[in-house]
Amino acid sequence: MKNDMTAIVRRTILLVSLVAGGTSLALAHHSYSAFDMAGQRVITGTIKKMDWTNPHTWIWVDVANEQGVVETWGIEGMSPNYLERRGWSRNTIKVGDKLSITFHPLKNGDKGGSFQSAQRPNGEVLGMTPPISEK
Amino acid sequence: MERTRQIIFGCIAASLALVPAAIAQTTVRKAPTAADWAALAKLPDFTGVWEVGLGGGGGGRAAAGRAAAPADAAAGGRGDAAAKGGRAGAPAGGGRAGRGGGGPSLTPAYAAKAQARVANPAEDAQAANCLPPGLPAIMNQPYPMEILMTPGKVTIVIEAYTQVRHIYTDGRPLPTDPDPLFYGTSVGHWEDDTLVVETVGLAQVPRGLTFPYSDKMKIVERFRLTGPDSLTIETTAIDPEAFTAPYSMGTRNLARHRTWTIAEYICEENNRNFIDDKGNAGTKLSNPLSSAK
Repeated sequence: MKNDMTAIVRRTILLVSLVAGGTSLALAHHSYSAFDMAGQRVITGTIKKMDWTNPHTWIWVDVANEQGVVETWGIEGMSPNYLERRGWSRNTIKVGDKLSITFHPLKNGDKGGSFQSAQRPNGEVLGMTPPISEK
Repeated sequence: MERTRQIIFGCIAASLALVPAAIAQTTVRKAPTAADWAALAKLPDFTGVWEVGLGGGGGGRAAAGRAAAPADAAAGGRGDAAAKGGRAGAPAGGGRAGRGGGGPSLTPAYAAKAQARVANPAEDAQAANCLPPGLPAIMNQPYPMEILMTPGKVTIVIEAYTQVRHIYTDGRPLPTDPDPLFYGTSVGHWEDDTLVVETVGLAQVPRGLTFPYSDKMKIVERFRLTGPDSLTIETTAIDPEAFTAPYSMGTRNLARHRTWTIAEYICEENNRNFIDDKGNAGTKLSNPLSSAK
C-alpha cells in the first residue's frame, strides 16, 4: 500500500512537471549542449551506484550490450537539493535496483546521458523534473 | 618626556591625515540596541526561505514549487542559443513575468559590442566549471534563498553555489569607485513597505548578462511583499554609458516555504563537466565510483 502511494506521488510529480512545461527557469550549473536533447534512448539494467551529489546526481547502471557484455552507463540527473524538495531521497534509487531509464544521450556517443524518466519492473515511474535550461 | 609625547602625537596626527580615501569611507558598525531591534520588527517581514516561481501575480505556491520546463523545451529552446551568446540583448536569468525582452536600448558604442558578441559568441567554459553567475542572474536560480534581516543589514543566503549577498541598510552611501565584483556593492533603503536595493560595481562576469554593459551600470531591485508568503522583486538596470534609457528586467515572483531550510550546495563535489581544447563543454564519465558519496 505504501509502495502504491509512493508510486502515485511520483507519478504526480512527473505529471506536474509536465504540466508546468513551457516555462523555463534559469541556469542549471552547466549547458546541456553536450547532450542530444532531441534524441532519446532507453537502457535497462542494474544500478551499480547512485551518486547523491551536487551539482548533479549520477545514476551508474550496468547494462548488457548486444554481445552480452556488461557496460556501465552514467546518467546525469537533477541535484539532490532539487529532488529532496520533490519527494526523492538518497534511497529512492538503490544499488541493485532494476531500472529502465529513458534519457537524452551524449552527442559524442559515450555511454551516458541526461535523465528523463525511469521505470521499475513493477511499473512505478520515477519522474525527476527534467533538466532545467542553461541561461 | 613632554617632547616625546609631542612627537608621538605628531606622528599619529600625520598618519591620520594620510588615511586613504577608501578607508575614510568605512562605516563603523555600531552594536544594535533594543530600539534598533524594535524598529526592525516594525518592517515587513522578508525573512525565511524563498523560491523563485513562475510569473504572474503574487507567486502561486504550486507553480513555484515545480517551476521547470521539460527537457526538450528547456534545452532546445534556450540552452544552446543562450550559452553561445545567440540571443544578444536578452538577459541571462531567464524569462520572467513582465519582461519585455529584446534587451536594453544600447548606445552606438555598446550596440557595436553586442554585434561583436553575436559574431564571436562566448563558449561554454564558464558554464561548465561551476562558476556562479553574477547579479542579477544569481537571483533567478532553481534553488531557494534565505533572507535575513538584522539592524542595518539585509543578508541573502543563496543556496545555488553557496553564495551570499550583503545589503547594507544603515544609511551608508554607495561607493564612488567600487571594485568590480560578481554581486557588486549593495545598499538598501525603505520606501514605505518596499526595500529598494541599489548595487554598483558589477564586474564583467563570464556567465552574466548577455548584453554588454559598462562599469557605470547600477542595478535597482525593489522588494515588496504581495501576500503572506509571496514577494516580488522588480529589477531595473541603469547604465548611462551603455544604455539610452533604464532597462526594466521584469519582476520575479517568489514563494516563501516555511518548512524549508537552505541545503548544502558544493558545485565542485561531483562536477563532471570539462572544457575541451576548443572551449566546448563535455561530460566526464570516467571513475564513476570515485565521488565522495
